[in-house]
Amino acid sequence: MYTLGMDIGSTTSKAVILRDGREIVASSMVIATVGTLGVFQVMDHVLEESGLKKEDMACIVATGYGRQTYGEADYQVSELTCHGLGVRHVCPQARTVIDIGGQDAKVLSLGEEGRMVNFVMNDKCAAGTGRFLDVMANILKLDISQLEVEAARSEKPANISSTCTVFAESEVISQLAAGTAIPDLVAGICQSVAVRTAALAKRAGIKEKVFMSGGVAKNGGVRSALEKELGTEIGWHPLGQLMGALGGCIYGWEKSR
Amino acid sequence: MTANEWLAKLHEAASCPKKHMERYLSQGKKVVAVAPVYTPMELIHSMGLVPMGVWGADVEIKEAKKYYPAFICSIMQTILEMGIKGEYDGVSAIVIPSLCDSLKTLGQNWKYAVKEIPFIPMSYPQNRKPDYGIKFTKAGYQRVISDLTIAAGAQFSEAALAESIKVYNEHNQVMREFAEIASTARLTAAERNDVFKSAWFMLPEEHTAVVKELNAALKEGPEDEGKARVLVTGILADSPSLLKILDDNGIKVVFDDVAHESRQYRIDVPDMANPMDALAQKFADMDNCTLLYDKEKKRVDYIIEQAKAHSADGVIVLMTKFCDPEEFDYVPIKRACEAAGLKHLNIEVDRQMVNYQQAGTMIQAFKEMF
Repeated sequence: MYTLGMDIGSTTSKAVILRDGREIVASSMVIATVGTLGVFQVMDHVLEESGLKKEDMACIVATGYGRQTYGEADYQVSELTCHGLGVRHVCPQARTVIDIGGQDAKVLSLGEEGRMVNFVMNDKCAAGTGRFLDVMANILKLDISQLEVEAARSEKPANISSTCTVFAESEVISQLAAGTAIPDLVAGICQSVAVRTAALAKRAGIKEKVFMSGGVAKNGGVRSALEKELGTEIGWHPLGQLMGALGGCIYGWEKSR
Repeated sequence: MTANEWLAKLHEAASCPKKHMERYLSQGKKVVAVAPVYTPMELIHSMGLVPMGVWGADVEIKEAKKYYPAFICSIMQTILEMGIKGEYDGVSAIVIPSLCDSLKTLGQNWKYAVKEIPFIPMSYPQNRKPDYGIKFTKAGYQRVISDLTIAAGAQFSEAALAESIKVYNEHNQVMREFAEIASTARLTAAERNDVFKSAWFMLPEEHTAVVKELNAALKEGPEDEGKARVLVTGILADSPSLLKILDDNGIKVVFDDVAHESRQYRIDVPDMANPMDALAQKFADMDNCTLLYDKEKKRVDYIIEQAKAHSADGVIVLMTKFCDPEEFDYVPIKRACEAAGLKHLNIEVDRQMVNYQQAGTMIQAFKEMF
């Protein structure tokens, strides 16, 4: 049985096809969000990669920011539930999930069976989200993927405001003018995201094992800063950005079997 | 009439308060605006005046920004905004109590911003239960009587107050009965809110008559089944967008601890020889509210007790943005919910919300945990 999960996020659309609730057959990611052709492109890509047709899917589950507007889904499930299910699939020991997406940050508490039992979300603010990192990378004329490497080269991380993306942008420009080294600025930016996320995580309560999902999970600079803030090791998976779509597949499989 | 027809009548009252105010004015009655959270409505009613609630509205704040910083309660800001824009034109006065620091500033700003509608302060004591507290409350009521006499030309009599107390006590009882019936009857969150909201815009005797009929019809009707059962707590829960999200996600409000709703009807005026003493005693008897000083935080236990009594599976805290008293209470509520095995969700709300995407995701995820 094949199930398909579509995670229509605020900056990227992701799709995963799963066989029998276990094996990832295909996955795709397009940098495009709800209301754009990207949503259809990601579906086409994942079907093409798998060699399957939409009719072969026992269930299609939409999640993420654009879930309510995706009319072809059998179920529209919150991204919190889907990230919980996705992480449980790749790391059954995880009890705390930190998901930093393009537009928001969430912390999930998972129970003994890996089911979500509590969660908190960030305020309606870009600080501490993927958008914050995008803005900062743009000021520094770096690709988002370079942030991890630059942060690792830092000798003395700069102090960047953790409260507001707009003010932080001004701070970074001021620090550039003052001659602060790029690696130190990047490390300070990662630290800023970590401080804000750690505060959110502490509100939910930290229970090991801690796992990070969402696009920002790929950023080692943020991960290691967060590990220091929380005083615990943080697990992650190279497919961390696909956890929502993967969780959608699992939800669909559980409903269909 | 069917339950749906009674509900439609209350929805109309809840949606069009101005129409009701104009109706009362056309009947030769005088209307007095009453601001959150507790005002002596029995007293205003006894002077032949119509008390109508003003809890602001989901409107853009422009004019009130001249008087307030951005980081203050939007309920209060929108009351001032609507006052400045003439939405309350026609009322004879506004009674604003002193139950939180923000409300105190509303009264002060009102004097300068809306000069044509007299501001009448209702000063309550922090320590409301001792004899000196009750005397302080009574002195506050005397000030309201005195100011209403000047502002509306109305006269006070103890005999009339005794009659109004009977009217309000009956209304309280009918509203409490509705809250119990609504915990099982098939009713949406929006319809439930209409019943409470409309009470602010109708004379109590009129509202009592309608809700009595509604209660009878609901008792005969079907029960709600298969929904997640929650207790909602907070200052205000009247946003149509938010209530729709609850309804769309199959969440049933089985009881509330909302200042705008059930908190108003918990306590009756006791039977005492002097009606003014009795009215002051009512305020002393009130409890389990963020805005009523209680160092023991009994409200927390009350919420858990009511959640259990109404078979709620969880508690939704609608946290009014910048409401310090409510924020202070949140941590013990959260801990008590966890100790009681109740799922809980905290959603920040205000009168300026235009995007409910995040609230929608949180409520859906909350429901998915059941």
